[in-house]
Amino acid sequence: MTIVPTAASVVLADIRKSFGSLEVIHGIDLSVTEGEFVVFVGPSGCGKSTLLRMIAGLEEVTEGEITIKGRDVTDLDPSERGIAMVFQSYALYPHMSVRENLAFSLKMSRTSVAEIDRRVAQASAVLKIDHLLDRRPGQLSGGQRQRVAIGRAIVRKPDVFLFDEPLSNLDAELRVSMRIELARLHRELGNTMIYVTHDQTEAMTLADRIVILRDGRIEQVGTPRQIYEDPANTFVAGFIGSPRMNLLRGRWVGPGRVRVSGVEIDVPLSVAAPPEGSEVEYGIRPEHVEIDRNARSGMPATVEFSEYLGGTRYIYTRLTDGQNLTVEDRTDIAIENGQSISLSRHAGKSLAFDGNGGRIR
Amino acid sequence: MTMRSKRRARRAFWIGIAYNGIGLGTAFFFLAPFFVGILASFRPSAESGRPPLPPWPLTGFSFDAYRTLDGFGAGIWQHTINSLIVSLGTVVLTVVVSVLAGYGFSRYRFPLKNVLFVLIIATLMIPFQSILTPLFIILAKLGLNNSLFGLMLIYVTLQLPFSVFMMRNAFDAVPKEIEEAARIDGARDIKLLARVLLPLVMPGVSTVSIFAFLNAWNEFLAALVLLSSNGNYTLPVLMTAVRAGRLGAIDWGAVQAGVTVMIIPCLFVFLLLQRYYMRGLMAGAVK
Ligand SMILES: Nc1ncnc2c1ncn2[C@@H]1O[C@H](COP(=O)(O)OP(=O)(O)O)[C@@H](O)[C@H]1O
Ligand SMILES: [Mg+2]
Repeated sequence: MTIVPTAASVVLADIRKSFGSLEVIHGIDLSVTEGEFVVFVGPSGCGKSTLLRMIAGLEEVTEGEITIKGRDVTDLDPSERGIAMVFQSYALYPHMSVRENLAFSLKMSRTSVAEIDRRVAQASAVLKIDHLLDRRPGQLSGGQRQRVAIGRAIVRKPDVFLFDEPLSNLDAELRVSMRIELARLHRELGNTMIYVTHDQTEAMTLADRIVILRDGRIEQVGTPRQIYEDPANTFVAGFIGSPRMNLLRGRWVGPGRVRVSGVEIDVPLSVAAPPEGSEVEYGIRPEHVEIDRNARSGMPATVEFSEYLGGTRYIYTRLTDGQNLTVEDRTDIAIENGQSISLSRHAGKSLAFDGNGGRIR
Repeated sequence: MTMRSKRRARRAFWIGIAYNGIGLGTAFFFLAPFFVGILASFRPSAESGRPPLPPWPLTGFSFDAYRTLDGFGAGIWQHTINSLIVSLGTVVLTVVVSVLAGYGFSRYRFPLKNVLFVLIIATLMIPFQSILTPLFIILAKLGLNNSLFGLMLIYVTLQLPFSVFMMRNAFDAVPKEIEEAARIDGARDIKLLARVLLPLVMPGVSTVSIFAFLNAWNEFLAALVLLSSNGNYTLPVLMTAVRAGRLGAIDWGAVQAGVTVMIIPCLFVFLLLQRYYMRGLMAGAVK
């Protein structure tokens, strides 16, 4: 599906947040397009939830401005921002039936009974929870509760949906099916959605655009493809992708050439090349390394051990200078632990990073 | 039927007998005093001096004892109504104040919060008899001595430390996300409290109510000290008058009748509120 960018839906302008004297969000600038599915991803404690809760109005903004659909909502009550939120813990009202849970926000805004019935029926049909309307949350399974929580957001017809790790309480199988369901929901409703997760698979599969956060700062914003293929720094390169990208210590030996473990490797030429002889990091993803059957020209390595996963095999190797390198291999060449092999790289897939972890390009 | 299953069936039978027997025995010890008291209150006055066993009236049921009881003070109805006013007023005020205070202590951050909370709890350690005189003087200054409202205020004061503690715990047990979801859904302030939170802390509210009612209903010393006119006496004060008897003759029938009258509202309140102890009410809210 292609998103036709129409207008900015959510704009964060230099958002900062302090708890007491401790600043945890250090100036975030971000513009989310109407109808876009944006995923905030980052390690635990990096401030994803805090950022989302500030957009929701559940957490006060210490500094900066939040705009939703062109309206400054920085100091508005959560209910007046045109947002709906789905919590990790579902947060259903346990003393109300599913129907009452869905209808609660509409009752609070004095919607007519006929309209409430219509919207509840509509939302429960979309989520296939029509048969559960008269049950209490306590009588539902985890997946059903999550649907009700999403339904409670849908009936409000919000401009923006906010999700805070909505799938992390579900078991692995259910998580995959709910993920697909969420993608379908986004296609059908077409609303702006902001989704927080620490799970990179969720981020890659759901997002139109990914925002990578670390320690209260944005590390990179981009489509899943941009993030994966063109990471801005070693943090992003290492965070997205499983198994992780190989990051090897090396030395810049000339224009577009890096020496790693005694072998000179071509990397993309750069306008802002570092001084010759300086320390750099060389990055290559496991699937872009191959076992060289015969050539002696490759990078020599020793197999430490391998993991067989059926379609692929991860081979963990040690280079001659002691650094480790992981190979994702799809051949069925016989490999034994301790065996000496030669590795070659896909042309054009090599990345180089300077001493501070920033990308050299 | 095999030998084995026969033996098992017989075993189950005897276990059932023992189980129910022990249950009935325990129930008997709990209920016997009620039956003795209630039955004895229906003895005719001629029998009221007889030994307590057997407790039932020998020459037919009679309401003599209740008539005698009504002759004390300003009439049993008046005193029952006094007691009900004070007790129900205590319940309402205690619940309102402790729900608001418990919510505040549980959810808001303000300076000296924990110090304040500990101070409130610490007042539980002060024996109330020791502050009776100052309380009496304060109420007198406020013009509230010999008034049921004044007595009610004292009961509320005595009830609050425990109740605030209860309600804070009750609110602490409600996940913050539920409240946040309600705020996003547009419930604010009183609506939020009444529509979303109150149903979730109902077990706490019913505990607080039962305690407030029973303590106010049964309290004697403060009522005796504070109330000076006959028409204002609550039931416990009336009962001492009944127990003291007239001209040295104690009418045990009237005493039993008074006890019976005093039990009824307590049972009623308990039966009414205990259904709110719904177990697992929170199940399914989060996780
Ligand atoms: N109410 C709070 N008081 C103090 N510190 C908080 C509070 N909420 C979050 N933090 C801190 O802010 C940082 C970001 O938290 P959070 O947004 O929950 O991270 P994430 O959702 O990415 O795991 C953490 O270091 C956390 O300890
Ligand atoms: Mg979080």
